[in-house]
Amino acid sequence: MRRYMSVKTAVWLLILCGIFILADSSSSWASVKAEKESLKLEFSRTGSVITAKLIPRAKSSSVLIDFKVSGGDLADVKGVDFEKAARPTMDHKDFRSALFAASIQNISKGSTVKLSITSGFFSKSTQYWIFNENLADAWMNGEAEIIEHPKLVCEMVLTLKDGGKFDADGAADGRITVIGGPKDSFWGYALGTLFIRFFGIFLVLSVLMVGMIISGKIFQSMERKKEEAASMAIALQPEVEPEPEKEEGEVLVTENDVDPEKIAAISAALHAHFSAMQSTDAVYLFSPEVTSWTQQGRQRIMGVRYLAIDRIKS
Amino acid sequence: MTWDQVLELIKNILFTQTGVPHLIGIHGVKALIMIGISFFFLYLAVAKEYEPLLLVPIGFGIFLVNFPLVPLMGFSEHGYPELLQAFYKYGISWEIIPPMIFLGLGAMTDFGPLIANPKTLIIGAGAQLGVFVTYLGTLFFGFTLKEAASVAIIGGADGPTTIYLTAKLAPQLLGANALAAYSYMAMVPLIQPPIMRLMTTPEQRKIKMRQLRPVSAREKLLFPLIAAFLIIILIPAVAPLMGMFMFGNFMRECGVVKRLSDTAQNSLMNIITILLGLSVGATMQAEVFLNWKPLLIFSLGLFDFIICTFGGLLTVHIMNRFLTEKMNPLIGSAGVSAVPMAARVAQSEGLKADPDNWLIMHAMGPNLAGVIGSAAAAGMFIAMFQ
Repeated sequence: MRRYMSVKTAVWLLILCGIFILADSSSSWASVKAEKESLKLEFSRTGSVITAKLIPRAKSSSVLIDFKVSGGDLADVKGVDFEKAARPTMDHKDFRSALFAASIQNISKGSTVKLSITSGFFSKSTQYWIFNENLADAWMNGEAEIIEHPKLVCEMVLTLKDGGKFDADGAADGRITVIGGPKDSFWGYALGTLFIRFFGIFLVLSVLMVGMIISGKIFQSMERKKEEAASMAIALQPEVEPEPEKEEGEVLVTENDVDPEKIAAISAALHAHFSAMQSTDAVYLFSPEVTSWTQQGRQRIMGVRYLAIDRIKS
Repeated sequence: MTWDQVLELIKNILFTQTGVPHLIGIHGVKALIMIGISFFFLYLAVAKEYEPLLLVPIGFGIFLVNFPLVPLMGFSEHGYPELLQAFYKYGISWEIIPPMIFLGLGAMTDFGPLIANPKTLIIGAGAQLGVFVTYLGTLFFGFTLKEAASVAIIGGADGPTTIYLTAKLAPQLLGANALAAYSYMAMVPLIQPPIMRLMTTPEQRKIKMRQLRPVSAREKLLFPLIAAFLIIILIPAVAPLMGMFMFGNFMRECGVVKRLSDTAQNSLMNIITILLGLSVGATMQAEVFLNWKPLLIFSLGLFDFIICTFGGLLTVHIMNRFLTEKMNPLIGSAGVSAVPMAARVAQSEGLKADPDNWLIMHAMGPNLAGVIGSAAAAGMFIAMFQ
């Protein structure tokens, strides 16, 4: 028989947990470091567009992010490790995809270009935050213009000035290097999807409940109709008197079965049988003289009597 | 050959072909600790009979993989997976074993109590509250989104669902999550009663429910088709689990494939359980398992369980506000899908309040609804990360 865990065993489990504490001497009690998820970043170029393919934090399948520049040439786009841009004011969990370093060249010194970043992974609320380690406040909102396209594709357009605050090299040298990435609120995303998913379960099971209630009612009405039809069929059948109950071994003879002549014959035979069994003395009617004639007569009477008795017995 | 050469040869053999020298040092100590842990789980399974069907293969899997130099969880020089790696790769990574377990579970399940009282599906949904609360709480401890989802599903108290989701989203946590799920399923009679008494009054525990209506064989036959259609059309991601579950149930109810149904319930389940347990145990190697995360997972799993029980009870209280015929709130705790233990706990608590109050069949409805609810929650998480 399966048994359940007792309090004593639960205490042993807690002691076991203590073993874990002793076994791992390399980590501290204060924090559990989040493991870096592998983004599997790959880049490809099609004409003037560079496409980044990666598996973002909150997904199991890859997404594509396209980089395009107007007013210059997009030389290169590379991935940047979050560790290099880590600051206490910025939670890297807010960057669901990756950090990118885009290099733009062949522009006039001090001119302005537009960098557009397009993906189906962005939403209207996504921002593009830019990192410039030369500034006191290294992280800043790129204030990108959001353009919505069909099929839930969003385009973020950044306005970049050579030598401006977004230019990582800090110099008006005809080249712009911008380091940054798309940012969504981590907790906003987590809470938002959570509520949607939790109430989604209620919705799914409610739909199933309604389906089952409807099908249950259909089946119950079908069963009821079947029962009603069966009881109607029974009600329409002619009434048949039930046969009297017979005990085992007993043969019941009713008045309808035997006619009066048979009853009289059976009664006479029974009388003769019981009379024969009772009387032991011979009855002499006339004289004690036994002639051959009288002896023959007696024998004949005796023979008929036995036949009657035999008939009763059979 | 000189003595030095002989000694060198012996030393070489010792270090490369035996495990004894590798027990010295920090790695050796960790391996010995894991072997000790495996003995503990085997003791629980054999001596105390706590979930022996799973803890025996899991415990033995832990025992085997923590020996040094064992060719079990690696790849051969030809690139083929070794024994337990093959079980893990083709059974768990390829997501074969958990749906097959659901096939067997479906073949063993009688949905009559749920069909007779479909309202209890809402209780199964409410009992998933802990899953989502724990998901948020886990994020505070620095787990990634996928890891948090795999830890949160522990509260659903459904072993195959936990393994399926964890293998998909955070395979590095498989061992800890599976152990936590099955351990807490064994602790249901310890964890739930105090919460049930806290959340209900003595008068509420005495509520008698009307006997369930009879369910025809035709209804039971059509239920898996209807349920699979509705659930899969709404959450396609849950098709592997729910599809197999309902297929197993359909085989049971149709009555024309008794052989297949018997196989699914018995031989197939036994085979799959052996492979599952060994594979899960094999993931618990010392270097992976001995850190803070399993400890945190065990703690979060307990919290998860408690909130799920609370959620089920709360759901019944809310439903009773709208129902003319009240439900006994004790059946709310059975929304945690530890079938049939949670229903038995509801029954025993009901009997304590009123020896004439038999709640087991009423509690089976939410218990089965919890299985569907936890699979739906897993489907939601999978869809979230797609």
